[in-house]
Amino acid sequence: MINPVRKLSFDKISAGDEAPVVSHLLTRTDLVKYAGASGDFNPMHSDEAAAKAAGLPSVFGHGMFSMGFLGRAITDWAGPGNLLNYRVRFTKQTWPGETLTSKIVVTGKEVTKEGKVISADVSLVNEKGEAKLSGSTKVLAA
Amino acid sequence: MSYDEYIGKPMSAHTIHVERGSVSRFADACTDKNPIYHNLKAAKVAGFDAPPLPPTWTFASAFLGAYPEDQPADPTGGKGNPMMGIMSGLMKNGGMVLHGEQEFIYHQPAQCGDLLHSEGKITNVYTKESGGKLMTFVVMETVFKNAAGEPVVTEIFNLIHRGK
Repeated sequence: MINPVRKLSFDKISAGDEAPVVSHLLTRTDLVKYAGASGDFNPMHSDEAAAKAAGLPSVFGHGMFSMGFLGRAITDWAGPGNLLNYRVRFTKQTWPGETLTSKIVVTGKEVTKEGKVISADVSLVNEKGEAKLSGSTKVLAA
Repeated sequence: MSYDEYIGKPMSAHTIHVERGSVSRFADACTDKNPIYHNLKAAKVAGFDAPPLPPTWTFASAFLGAYPEDQPADPTGGKGNPMMGIMSGLMKNGGMVLHGEQEFIYHQPAQCGDLLHSEGKITNVYTKESGGKLMTFVVMETVFKNAAGEPVVTEIFNLIHRGK
């Protein structure tokens, strides 16, 4: 029987609250690891020679790595098994050498048939503040 | 060009085994060191019987957990994924394929040991002009159900071809 521990307290959360920030320096090793663990072997992510031949400055990160990393920031905050919805728009490519930082800002809360639901805007930005992806999530609280 | 004939077409169906090795390696590749994904005892403390799915695991699951001996019949009848047909047709004239948007709707948690059944279909195809370039959007929906036939995750995948 699955009964995930709810990490968030509905009563203590209000709009404007921010989840703890998670940052990561993106490396080529991250791209290779994500390719191997996801099966996405598009050479633009793992083959520097092929990426340059296609006119790119280097390999670039998988969009789904960014979404997975930002998903980690959400589950670090709300606890695995507590997500109801997670959606993003991919706005810019990520490049090795960039530091990616999560931003999760609570936008509201309500009690629904699914339980005590917290809504948040989510994004992943580099050190210049450029958004790589942005979207929203809904998570369950206690 | 009209793509109406593609709307509603099935793309794929899979039987997927959710296993600890792929969950742990996938979480690690997303930089996720949360012991819930890696240590059975931590998963139990967090309210699971086994490590749960990381939020985006299902997107890679046809690669991670599908084995030939128990796959359902190919819903395309051997014609192949119609999304690939649209994209390869467009790529003949160059351009680029981009992942535009991705959504996960979580109906209930799932964990290692579960057997999931997925069915994917094209739900919309539309075009837009942007900066003098033709953008073709293919929207796909994949529903993952558990062994009881209850939905676990619905994925909505928006893929874009940006013309030259």
